[in-house]
Amino acid sequence: MSGIADAIENVTGAWILPIMVGLPLIVAVVLVIARRLSDDVATLVAASTATVTFVLAILASIAAGPYRDGEMVLELDRSWVPALGVGFHFGMDGVSAPLVLLTGLLGVLVCVHSVRVRPASGRARLLVACYLAVVGGALATFTVMDAVLFFIAFELVLVPMWFAIAFWGDDTQPDAPGRPGGEVARRDAANRFILFTAIGSALMLVGLLYVALQTGTTDLGKLADLAGEGLSHDVQVIAACFIVVGLSVKAPAFGVHTWLPPAHTIAPTGGSVLLAGVLLKMGTYGLVRVAVPILPDGFRTVAPFLALFAVLGIVWAGLACFVERDLKRLIALSSVAHMGFVLLGIASMTPQGLQGALFANIAHGLITGLLFLTVGSLKDRHHTADLALIGAGLRDRVPRLGWLLAFGAVAGLGLPGLAGFWGELLAIVGTWQSTGASSSLGTAGRPFAVVAVVGTVIAAVYLLRVLRLVWHGAAADAPQRVVPDATRHEVMVAAPLVVATVALGLLPWLLLDLTGPAVRVLLIVSGGNQ
Amino acid sequence: MNYASGLDTVQSVDWRLLAPVLGPVVAVAAILVLDAIGPERPGFRRLHDVLAVLGLVGAGAGVLLLVADGTTASTLCVPGGGLELPSCSYLVSPLTLTLQGLVIAGALVCLLLAVDGRAAIDRAPHHVLMLVAVTGALSLAGARDLITIVVAFETASLPAIALVALRRDAPGAQGAFTLLLTAVGSLGLLLMGMALLVLSTGSVHLDRIVAALATDPNLPQLSGPVRAVAALGAVLILAGVGFKMSAVPFHLWTPDTYAGAPLPIAAFLSVVSKTAGLAALVVLLPVGLPGLAGVWAPVIGVVAALTVTFGNLVAMRQTVAVRLLAWSTVAQAGWVLLPLSAARPGTPSAVRAATAASVGYLVAYAAASLAAFSVVVIVGRRHPAAEEHSIEAYRGLARREPVASAVLAFALACLAGLPPGIVGLMAKVVVFRPIVGATSWWLAGIAAVNVVFGLVYYVRWGALLFSPASGRALTWRVSVGEGLALGASGAACVALSVWPQAVAGLLPTVLR
Repeated sequence: MSGIADAIENVTGAWILPIMVGLPLIVAVVLVIARRLSDDVATLVAASTATVTFVLAILASIAAGPYRDGEMVLELDRSWVPALGVGFHFGMDGVSAPLVLLTGLLGVLVCVHSVRVRPASGRARLLVACYLAVVGGALATFTVMDAVLFFIAFELVLVPMWFAIAFWGDDTQPDAPGRPGGEVARRDAANRFILFTAIGSALMLVGLLYVALQTGTTDLGKLADLAGEGLSHDVQVIAACFIVVGLSVKAPAFGVHTWLPPAHTIAPTGGSVLLAGVLLKMGTYGLVRVAVPILPDGFRTVAPFLALFAVLGIVWAGLACFVERDLKRLIALSSVAHMGFVLLGIASMTPQGLQGALFANIAHGLITGLLFLTVGSLKDRHHTADLALIGAGLRDRVPRLGWLLAFGAVAGLGLPGLAGFWGELLAIVGTWQSTGASSSLGTAGRPFAVVAVVGTVIAAVYLLRVLRLVWHGAAADAPQRVVPDATRHEVMVAAPLVVATVALGLLPWLLLDLTGPAVRVLLIVSGGNQ
Repeated sequence: MNYASGLDTVQSVDWRLLAPVLGPVVAVAAILVLDAIGPERPGFRRLHDVLAVLGLVGAGAGVLLLVADGTTASTLCVPGGGLELPSCSYLVSPLTLTLQGLVIAGALVCLLLAVDGRAAIDRAPHHVLMLVAVTGALSLAGARDLITIVVAFETASLPAIALVALRRDAPGAQGAFTLLLTAVGSLGLLLMGMALLVLSTGSVHLDRIVAALATDPNLPQLSGPVRAVAALGAVLILAGVGFKMSAVPFHLWTPDTYAGAPLPIAAFLSVVSKTAGLAALVVLLPVGLPGLAGVWAPVIGVVAALTVTFGNLVAMRQTVAVRLLAWSTVAQAGWVLLPLSAARPGTPSAVRAATAASVGYLVAYAAASLAAFSVVVIVGRRHPAAEEHSIEAYRGLARREPVASAVLAFALACLAGLPPGIVGLMAKVVVFRPIVGATSWWLAGIAAVNVVFGLVYYVRWGALLFSPASGRALTWRVSVGEGLALGASGAACVALSVWPQAVAGLLPTVLR
């Protein structure tokens, strides 16, 4: 392995990360400009670009190995805006590598998916351009090591995702009684998405600038090395409030999550996959990269509140899923619950909790990506995602889609042996351990852990309800009996997610070994409770 | 008064330093001569244009030469009495040159947009009025005594009012009248404020006013009541120049005047006039009255917060393109003012940083605003509803006019502060920095909310460009002037996005 790593380092130097980020962004611009390009060619170009990007991501993660010391590698630091101290600083460590790989993989899958499955409103060329831009922005978020650049990368995904939702989203909702078209619903969902996330990132920017002005640097690496040194407790708490509130919008935490259900439900299939699999992770990644190491004192003060909203989200979203009739919306709501576990793990500030959060991040990306792909296929065929209208007996009517849905649901409820299990287990363990005077959650740690356990039970119940309603049962009772099953193309797109879910479920240390050292470094520099 | 001692000496004049101001003046003289010789000849029309452009280019060359020189120098000085240093009426500093460069670039783009429009049918008056207004704005940037400032300020304002009326219809007259009333009322406030300053400090030269109001304990201090009179003067001055930037509550002329003015003149008001307004504000307050920052900075904070919020909220409800832009410039004026609220007395570095942020935001705004106006002008000349066209006219424009749409989309992204408009994003960072540095959390919160308010209408407009549209696909023949304006302003937005240092790194040295 080290031979490959050396070879890569020799060829690209540290430029591999900027190239990996820039490639999808540049191709996205080219696709927008190239108006003569047919949709067939454009989607193929996008799919190959995404594949090359994914290969670069794999090469970068190999070159960045073996992640034993938890250090930042593949660093590239160039001055950009000296007046603000902002530099083109890229880097990768065990925290970012899994997310980079996940983003690369999901990018390939959504682009390949659109090669065959085209939006009803046409203009697939622009849609895949949006997808590529989102992938590029997300990769930038996970690899930049400068606070202001992080903010820019964070904003980069907003516009393309807005367009994806507003132009290619669900067209089955009524605009007015008896007038379908969905324009009103699409605009509403897209606007809510961009407005919520933009105010979140503006608040985050205020916090980041406050830290930068107090310490004199915007370099996330240097700030993490300082680990809050020179920042008084009050300064840390104020900055942490802004940053945590800002990032919670994206994550999302309960209370500021209301943009998520409409956005995920209305977005086109690929958009939902990227929203759930990539965009939500940007919020939690930001907490791990910025809040925990840079403002350890401040984050410790804010953590109990974050944990409270996390468990509220777990329970509330679970209960909402009990009664939700729309399958796509149900999966969107379940994302709030799953991300609640991630937030809880981060708030615990224990190695187990943080490891669990990072693991659950990836697992949620894989499983929810799979579920959104499957439900998207079901929705395309039934022209609705209403559980009652899809009807019973998917197992018999469309066995492949049925099994994919069943697999996703079982993985989502955290069955041991699949990826969903480990992340949530570790997050709960971390929360349980975060108790005592020196911990971040104090006396609230154990109650929170107990509530989170209840949340896993709720998840099992609502996902089994879904399976009982649409997977089980006699096909004869379904309102639409004859729909085509998943094509080979769709199965091929879903397969990598199934394989990865099983692999991480059976061999969790594949990921834990990657994140472990980096988490220890983050917590040691921040003086977290071991 | 000290000033009297200067009257019996002949002032030395360094013409090189005044070159940027003299460029347009020479062009004005040439155009008037040309007009006197033979206004009827058709070939003269282009000659008028060339002379006006040459005047601005000459001024720009003067600025570039002085930038290359890199020195801070002053002229039009009067000797100080006794031990004092001479006081000068005109100063060339990085601040002066930055503002002058911005005025000239903005005026050039507006002129290029105007030459093919209806308002410029009478070349001579149009170009003369515009160049005189530019002269006023240019001298305002260098003026360092109250009398020069007020004369320059009015030279920048009054021709702009006549320019608005050049459309020669009822809305134009109404727009000009509204602006005239506001300008006259504001002049009263400005003169009153200046009078109070002269009364309390005994000088018209800014450097002497600075010294008189300095909080340095080693120097003789003004008594409390006298200081209060000066502080009242500062607030009145703020009120007097606020209208030029469309700051709430002196913004009411903006929508009517923008809608009544020829579109290129609306662009002129939104960039050149606003720059002149900021020049007056910056020269009078951060440069002239840093010692009173404790009084004027909080007032600016309140005004800025109101301006940005009110502008955004009303802009959300606009459907006519030029009115939307008018309200958006009100909001943007608020963004320009916001950092000035972070100035604190006794900390020159904070005052300098706040001013630099303010000017930096203005640079980013000017590029984006000119780009947006260029497209609105181009569309307005080809749309049946002409200058009053609604933003619905832009539906599907990306298919018909890809270049103009790309420029407009990029400009709107810059104004909204969203990628790919990196310069707008960086400008917001530049504005937030001093506010956060001064720990004004309430202002930071209001600003954060306003980032989102702004998105609502910029995104709505931008999305229309890419919406599917029915109807014939016509390609437009864009004239040379329009094309140059569109290309230059679009290129400026892109260049600043690649190199945001130009926005973030202004005025690195002492503020003078």
